[in-house]
Amino acid sequence: MNFLTAAPHFLFFTGKGGVGKTSIACATAVTLAAQGKRVLLVSTDPASNVGQVFGIAIGNHVTTITAVPGLSALEIDPQQAAQAYRDRIVGPVRGLLPDAVVKGIEEQLSGACTTEIAAFDEFTGLLTDADLTTRYDHIIFDTAPTGHTIRMLQLPGAWSGFLDEGKGDASCLGPLAGLDKQRSQYKAAVDALSDPQRTRLVLVARAQPSALREVARTQQELTAIGFANQFLIVNGVFPAGEVHGDPLAMAIRAREQSAIADMPAPLRTLPFDCIDLRAFNLVGLEALRQLLTPTATLEPAQAEAWQAPAARALAVLVDEIARDGHGLVMLMGKGGVGKTTLAAAVAVELAHRGLPVHLTTSDPAAHLVETLKGSMEHLTVSRIDPHAETARYRQHVLDIKGKSLDAHGRALLEEDLRSPCTEEIAVFQAFSRIIREAGRQFVVMDTAPTGHTLLLLDATGAYHREVARQMGAGMRYTTPMMQLQDPRQTKVLLVTLAETTPVLEAANLQSDLRRAGIEPWAWVINNSVAAAHPQSPLLRRRARNELPEIDAVATRHAVRYAVVPLLAEEPVGVARLLELGRRS
Amino acid sequence: MKKIQVFDPALCCSSGVCGTDVDQALVDFSANADSVRQAGAHIERFNLAQQPMAFAGNPTVKAFLERSGQEGLPLVLVDGEVALAGRYPTRADLMRWAGIVPISTEAKPQSGCCSGSSSCD
Repeated sequence: MNFLTAAPHFLFFTGKGGVGKTSIACATAVTLAAQGKRVLLVSTDPASNVGQVFGIAIGNHVTTITAVPGLSALEIDPQQAAQAYRDRIVGPVRGLLPDAVVKGIEEQLSGACTTEIAAFDEFTGLLTDADLTTRYDHIIFDTAPTGHTIRMLQLPGAWSGFLDEGKGDASCLGPLAGLDKQRSQYKAAVDALSDPQRTRLVLVARAQPSALREVARTQQELTAIGFANQFLIVNGVFPAGEVHGDPLAMAIRAREQSAIADMPAPLRTLPFDCIDLRAFNLVGLEALRQLLTPTATLEPAQAEAWQAPAARALAVLVDEIARDGHGLVMLMGKGGVGKTTLAAAVAVELAHRGLPVHLTTSDPAAHLVETLKGSMEHLTVSRIDPHAETARYRQHVLDIKGKSLDAHGRALLEEDLRSPCTEEIAVFQAFSRIIREAGRQFVVMDTAPTGHTLLLLDATGAYHREVARQMGAGMRYTTPMMQLQDPRQTKVLLVTLAETTPVLEAANLQSDLRRAGIEPWAWVINNSVAAAHPQSPLLRRRARNELPEIDAVATRHAVRYAVVPLLAEEPVGVARLLELGRRS
Repeated sequence: MKKIQVFDPALCCSSGVCGTDVDQALVDFSANADSVRQAGAHIERFNLAQQPMAFAGNPTVKAFLERSGQEGLPLVLVDGEVALAGRYPTRADLMRWAGIVPISTEAKPQSGCCSGSSSCD
């Protein structure tokens, strides 16, 4: 493995949820410890199973892993760090200020920025602690700070005002003012990150075109801010020796190999490793030791029998949606779970029944949706371009706000406008325009604002309602929030994969939505291997591993759900999308 | 010199870029506060989301929040007494409270200091 060669002091793994960062970080730690190194493993996975992997409870303090000489571990929960920060701000006024006011403050502090900054604050201690640095040869992180966070900290303007004075005048760094470290310490942390002698960043992706494109964007963003020492891992690649004549396995293998062959040019310059897809769940030391070493292929006899999950076709959910004759259907979930495909499948299924449907997507690679344009009666297709919407919004803000600012202030504002919140708000404006149509027809979307954005925006909604009230009875005013909270007008479908981290992320999204008074209507488990009835021993093992996840969705998370099988071919075109919705 | 204290609603950021739309009133006020500050006025701003203790610790502000809620903000105190609530002060308001006499008539166009007020004489 290239990424293990001459490993520097700090190793960061970065990539989307569910790509296997935590498993690779654990395996790396075990491998380096076996070479006689003293290793500290830091996990920030909110579903941290590091403790489970090693069979002991770890938590928020350095814990010695007795089973692996030389290894210690620490779990940081970024949500908990953000909560601790909120408590520090809000705690003293609870009971002193009215409850509604306290709730409003908490919502303002619940954004992605706060979590990001709070997690970075935790890292800072580890990166700059001289004692830790001498005590361990390697400190391994299963996640990395985002480019946005680091750029903010690199801006001289970021430090001039609020951090020194503690006055909190800028947005995304606001939380730092409430934290207890010094400016010099944050600077030292950023310096350590961008020093190739000390820090290596390992990008982790799956062998899918969209995943590799996203990693290429991350690579360029991090290169631009001075993260020079980068490696690439493509994880979970289907091994040639495991195909065993299974048509599904053959198709997966071919699809992945062409994705790797066609990966974006900037990624080709990086030192590169492939890690095979494994049949086993990565729990226990033995499994971890095997992850970074070649394994023997499974024998067909090793594939044990299991009970396939009960059939649950997407079309059954669509039957119920169709009954209302119109309404908003939103597919929500993390990137890479197949929201766009499922939105298209729902739209095609509705249009096929003669119902008027507007399908709209914000997926930049929405060629799937493009192929539907003009191809079906009752179906119209449009696109929200998040980049164009965000760029327009950003320019608008800079034009009116930037003119009164000096160069530092302007640079800081520009960086603020690159925060994840900004894109959400910009896209929300385009989104609000389209959802009004849902009173007359079906509107199916593959995107939606988070509960946090909705709550922030509802402050405006409350204002509008107040205006409407003062204008007297008979005036009807519906804010987008009111429309989304009404189950007769809006159905939210949460999309996930039948794997631990994606299910957990979807469950987090569900509680976020509930906070905003929106109850998800159904869950859709996409790309299920178990539902695809595979033949190859490896896929059959993987399928069996999905069963507890499917069961968790069915019994714990969802009121109603569908399971959509992993397909050999990409579902492009009306016929294949209809088939996708009907298979189970 | 009188002390002007502005109690902002809970803002993710005082620039307001995190809101539904950029609040022009907030943008204008930030610029006005800066320029009047430079003319020597003593102006303090408190963001409910970041300094809630400043709200809870001031009996006037606390009572105001209990009565009118967050929706009633911003609240402006001059030497501890309520001067304005529910909207941001104009440049003219700030100068009058601070006791600053305008040197010339070349007020910046964005200040809107003369709208509906006779304080520019």
